[in-house]
Amino acid sequence: MGASALTHTSLVVRILVALPTLREAGGDLFGIVPALRCLGPEARIEVVASAASCLARVQQGDVDLVVVDARLGVECGSLLEALRATPTPGVVVLSDAGDRQALEAHRQGAADCVVAGDALAETLPGVALEQIRRVRAAREQGATEQRLQRLERLNDAIVQTIPAALAVLDVHQRLLVVNPEFARSFGIGAQAAVGRRLDELLPPDLLESGSVREILAQAGAGETSPARVGHTLVAGGGVRAFDLRATRLDEDGRLLLVLSDVSERESLARRIAELQLYNENIIQNMNSALLVVDEAGAITFANPTAERILGARSLPGRRIWDWFPTTPREKVLIARTLARGARFRGAETVITLSDGRLVPIGISCAPLASADGRGLAAVAIFQDLSEIKGLQRQAFQSEKLVSIGQLAAGVAHEINNPVGFIHANLLQMAEYLTDLRRLWECTLSLQEAVRGGDPETIRTASKGLDRLAEEIDASFVVSDFAKAVRESQEGTERIRHIVQDLRDFSRDDTGEPMLADLNECLDSTANIVWTLMKHQVVLKRDYQELPRLRCYPMQLQQVFMNLLMNAYQAIAERVGQSGEMGEIRLSTRRRGEGIVVEVSDTGAGIPPETLGRIFDPFFTTKEVGVGTGLGLSTSFGIVQRHGGTIHVRSELGEGSSFEVFLPLEREEQRVAEGSA
Amino acid sequence: MSEVRPVLLIVDDEVRILTALRRVLRSERYEILTAETPAEALRLLDERRVDLILSDHKMPGMSGLELLARASSKQPSAGRILITGWTEEVPPEELAAVGVRALLPKPWDNEDLKATLRAALASDAALRLG
Repeated sequence: MGASALTHTSLVVRILVALPTLREAGGDLFGIVPALRCLGPEARIEVVASAASCLARVQQGDVDLVVVDARLGVECGSLLEALRATPTPGVVVLSDAGDRQALEAHRQGAADCVVAGDALAETLPGVALEQIRRVRAAREQGATEQRLQRLERLNDAIVQTIPAALAVLDVHQRLLVVNPEFARSFGIGAQAAVGRRLDELLPPDLLESGSVREILAQAGAGETSPARVGHTLVAGGGVRAFDLRATRLDEDGRLLLVLSDVSERESLARRIAELQLYNENIIQNMNSALLVVDEAGAITFANPTAERILGARSLPGRRIWDWFPTTPREKVLIARTLARGARFRGAETVITLSDGRLVPIGISCAPLASADGRGLAAVAIFQDLSEIKGLQRQAFQSEKLVSIGQLAAGVAHEINNPVGFIHANLLQMAEYLTDLRRLWECTLSLQEAVRGGDPETIRTASKGLDRLAEEIDASFVVSDFAKAVRESQEGTERIRHIVQDLRDFSRDDTGEPMLADLNECLDSTANIVWTLMKHQVVLKRDYQELPRLRCYPMQLQQVFMNLLMNAYQAIAERVGQSGEMGEIRLSTRRRGEGIVVEVSDTGAGIPPETLGRIFDPFFTTKEVGVGTGLGLSTSFGIVQRHGGTIHVRSELGEGSSFEVFLPLEREEQRVAEGSA
Repeated sequence: MSEVRPVLLIVDDEVRILTALRRVLRSERYEILTAETPAEALRLLDERRVDLILSDHKMPGMSGLELLARASSKQPSAGRILITGWTEEVPPEELAAVGVRALLPKPWDNEDLKATLRAALASDAALRLG
C-alpha cells in the first residue's frame, strides 16, 4: 500500500541504509534493502558502511530518510544523535523485540524502530513511508513560511519607499496604519496618525476637491472608482495635487487609500499646455503667414494669416501651385525647398490670387522632415508686402522731397540771377519805351509839318526830332532794347530749363520699367545738382558707352542724386569757405554682365566706425533738417530692387567712392516684384 | 567842361547781370568798370582808383564779402555794397566788420539800386570832406 502511495505521487525518495561492513557482520543480514525495494522504483536506495560516510551523505541535502542497522552498535547511537540536528529522520532496525533496545534507540534520537525478522518486508516500508511523509510536510511548511517572510519584507519595502502616501482605514475611517510618505505629506508622525479619523488629518480642501468621501464609499461597497485628483493650497503659496485611489482590502471592510503627489506632473502638464497655447497663439495671431507643405506641394497646415493673404479658407489639402499659375513648378521657391532642401530667407516673389490679383510677398522657406520621416516637407513663412511696398514708395518720395528741399536753395540762387537781370531789363525797357514813345510823338509832329508843307515848321520839327534823338541816344536805345529783349529771353529760357529738370526729377515712376541710358540719367542728375555745388566742386565726367538698361530711371536718378549730394556735402565739410575746390568724379563702365556707375569725391571721408551703418535707415551724421537719414538706405533699396549692389570705399581725409553695380539681366521674380 | 564822373566797379560772375546793371545805370553818369571774377576785380583795384564797389556775394573761389574785405585794404575810401540772393544769409556783424555800407537784394529794384548807390557816394563824399 505504501508503495502504491509513492508510485501515485511519482516522487523519487532517497533512502540511505547504514549497514555494518560485510567483513565484520556479514552485510545486510536483516534484509533491509530488499524490504525497502517494496517501495518501488521511485525509492532510490543507497548503502553506506559507516556512520561518518552516512552523515557526510546526509549533509549533501537530498536524503529523505536514513535506515540504520542496529548492529552498528556504538556508531549507531552517535549517528542517531547526529541526525537529530538535521531534518532527516533515522529509523533503526533492531535485532530483537526487546524493549530495552528500542527505548535506547528512541533516547538516542531515532524517529522510529522496526524489529528485524520475517515481517520486516512488511513493516519497514510502512514506517519508512510515514517518516518520509512527515519530513516532506515539515519541509513544505518551512518553504511556505520563508515565502511569506519574503513577501512581507517586499511589502514592507514597498510601503516604506513608495513615493505615495498609503493609509489603511477601518470601516469608521480611522487610520490603522500609514506609511512614512503619508506622515511626511501631511505633517504628522506615523504613530500619532494611528487611531485618528482621516478627515481630521487631511486638509479640508483636499477632502472636498478630491471627493475623498465618495471614493471611500465606493471602495467600501467593493466598487472600483476612477481615480480622482484633489488639490490643496500650500502655506507658502502654490497648490499641491494628489491622485486619489481607494481599494477594499478584506471582508472586515478595511480600505487602502493611496494618495500620489502629482503636483509636478500637473505643473508640467500645465506648463506644456501653456506653451502649446502660447505657440498656438503666436501662430494663430502672428502677422506673418505660416504654411506647412508636404512633398507633393499639398498644404498640411495654414494659420489664419495664411488664409487671409492667400485669400482662401480651409487651405489644407490644396496645392501651392494654385497660387503660381504662370510660374513653372520647378521655379517656385517652395518647390526648390521640397526638391533639395534649399533654404530661403526674405526672398521676394508674387502670388496670384483666384480673382487674378497679384500680391507681392516676402517669403522664407526651410525644409522639414515629414512626420513619417520620409521625403521632405517645407515650412514657409511669408508676409504681404503690398503695404510695405506702399510705405517704401512713400519713404522714397519723401526722401526725394528732402533732396528737392536741399536743391531748392541752389536752384533758387540759380533762378535769382536770370530773374535779377530780366527784372532789371524789363524796368529799363519800360524806360526805353518811354523815350521811344517821345521820339514817336516827335516823328508824328514832323509828319504833320510835312503834310502842312510849311518849310519853317518842317525844319523846326526836324530839329526837335534830331535833338530828342540825340538826347535819348536813340540809336543806342533801339539796339540796346533789342539786346535787352534777347538777353531776357535767354534768361527766361534758362529758368524754364531749371524748372523742367526739377519737374523731371520730382516725378514718381513706379510703373513699368523702361530702357534707359544710364549716362544720360547720371548726366541730367549731375546738371541739376551742379548748380548747387559749382562754387566748391570741380566735376569730372568719365563716361563709357553703355548698353541701355531696363530699369526705373527716375529711381536710379534718385540714387545718383543722393550719391552726388553726399559727395558734395563731404567736400563742403572739408573745404568750408576756404575757397579751395573739391573734385567729384563720375564714371560709368561695363563690367561683366552689368554696368558700374561710380561717384568719387575728395571730401572728408567716412570714419571706419560709421562706414558699416551708412546704409541703415535713418542713420545720419548730418544736422537736423539737412537729411532724413534715408538717402543711402533708400538708394540701397532701389539698387537692390534692380538686382544690383552698392559698395563703398572711404578713407578719412581722402574721400569716398560709391560704386553702384547694376546687372543687365535680372531674375524674373525681381522684375515681377517691381511691377506689382 | 567835362564832369568828373564817379568810378563804379561792379563784380558778378554772371555776365548778364553785369550787362543789366550797366544798362540800368547808363543814365547815372558813372564810369562803370566790370569784373566777372573776384580775382579780376582785385587786379582792377590795383590799376584804378574806384569810388564805389558793387559786388555779388556768391561767387566761385571767393565770396563777395571776402572780396570787399580785401578791397578795403587796397582802397579804404571806396564804398562797399553787396548784392545777395535771398537764399544766402550774411551775418550783420560780418557786414559791419567789412564796412559794407548797404546790402541789396537780388532781384533788385532799379530805382532802389540807383538811390542806394547815390546815397553811398554822398555819405562817402561827406566823410571825405569831413
